[in-house]
Amino acid sequence: MPEQDAVIRLRGIRKAYGALPVLRGVDLDVPHGQIVSVIGPSGSGKSTLLRLLMMLDTPDAGELRIDGERPWVTDRQGGMRADRAALRRARGRVGMVFQHFNLFPHLNALENVMEAPVGVLGFTREKAAAHALDYLERVGLAGKAHVMPGQLSGGQKQRVAIARALAMQPRIMLFDEVTSALDPELISGILTLLQRLAEPGNMTMLIVTHHMHFAESCADRVLFFEDGVIAEDGPPAELFNNPRYERTRRFAAAVSGG
Amino acid sequence: MIFDWAYAWDILPRFAPALWVTLQATLAGMMIALTLGLVLALLRRSPVAWISWPAAGLIEFVRSTPLLMQIYFMFYVLPEIGILLPAFTAGAMGLGLHYAAYCAEVYRAGLESVPRGQWDAASALNLGAWHTLRRIIVPQAVARVVPALGNYLVAMFKDAPLLSAITVVEMLQLAKMIGAESFRYVEALTLVGVFFLLLSLCAAALMHALERRLQVAHA
Repeated sequence: MPEQDAVIRLRGIRKAYGALPVLRGVDLDVPHGQIVSVIGPSGSGKSTLLRLLMMLDTPDAGELRIDGERPWVTDRQGGMRADRAALRRARGRVGMVFQHFNLFPHLNALENVMEAPVGVLGFTREKAAAHALDYLERVGLAGKAHVMPGQLSGGQKQRVAIARALAMQPRIMLFDEVTSALDPELISGILTLLQRLAEPGNMTMLIVTHHMHFAESCADRVLFFEDGVIAEDGPPAELFNNPRYERTRRFAAAVSGG
Repeated sequence: MIFDWAYAWDILPRFAPALWVTLQATLAGMMIALTLGLVLALLRRSPVAWISWPAAGLIEFVRSTPLLMQIYFMFYVLPEIGILLPAFTAGAMGLGLHYAAYCAEVYRAGLESVPRGQWDAASALNLGAWHTLRRIIVPQAVARVVPALGNYLVAMFKDAPLLSAITVVEMLQLAKMIGAESFRYVEALTLVGVFFLLLSLCAAALMHALERRLQVAHA
């Protein structure tokens, strides 16, 4: 893929936490607008990949480009250090939604969404409030604008978190097991919302999920992670019906059964 | 020895200025302790060693030496290097500095209790480190440690009589003076005890009200 077409470009990415290697050499190119599902067993490195793409953690080695920016550069000792300006620009292009929402508990729903438009984009409070309300509306929560996170249900919290990330108008959205902490009856609402966000095709999305049906129906491409590498990569139909690896087939069968 | 109510009533008004001095010293010390304590806690958390080590050293030094010695230092030693402070100012600063060290440890626990996910969310929104501290982390940390800070502030109020050692006439010093001139100590000292008791109870009630408000706001 020509370099300028890939909004995410990874080469030889490695990451260990302490002595535990989590990513053992990941190469990946994602073109703009692609919807990518990331599946695989727990501990295979899916969430670490998303944390690296959000630049919450520093890779130990390898090259990471987000929309052409290189947030990490190799220093003289061979380690990675931040290029602060590039890091800031790159983070501005990416948004992330977390498993446990991570809403700011001391701010109401509207203030949660307004905080970064005011603090980062320099919006006035009036403009940011209108902007934030618009995004709460899109996730169906305009009526809860002045409610504190503690008074929202899990599904509502996750919607606020999605609105908060979208309000920064990122080109890339990362969803890290966003339904895992939700009660079963709230999951389909969030998945439907993700599907709706994916439709216009102007946003690149990486979705770590355990919902195989969702991974299959919503995504253009599925990555199967195992032991810190991408074990299989292809369109959902191919990956689910015709996996090259026995392990992928067994994983998909086991999870969809459960 | 009989408690003379009429005499107690007579000397009561004389305590007004001393009470005022005690309150002012506590309020000034509290302001210093709350702000300087937070600054010290943040400096101590700095990843830069030449910032965090001096902060940690100062906190340990202040916590490991007596408050009275620190107050003497402010009043009797600083003038020798050209810093001449009025007794009240030196005393309030001594109280403030001493309790700032304790408050710094409380703030540190509060800062550490804010989950890492809050930092993650702030970084994912591209908020800078300073913005994240000021708007996201510190408000949550402070809300969690209000009860512990409240305890130290009541403790500081009760340490205010130490200021008498550097000529500040606060309540206890005045009670001693009244006792010396009339040879009746029981009324004056009892009044001081009652003042401290009532004010400490009021402060505790205020802290409880504040705690409840914070809990409601964060529910």
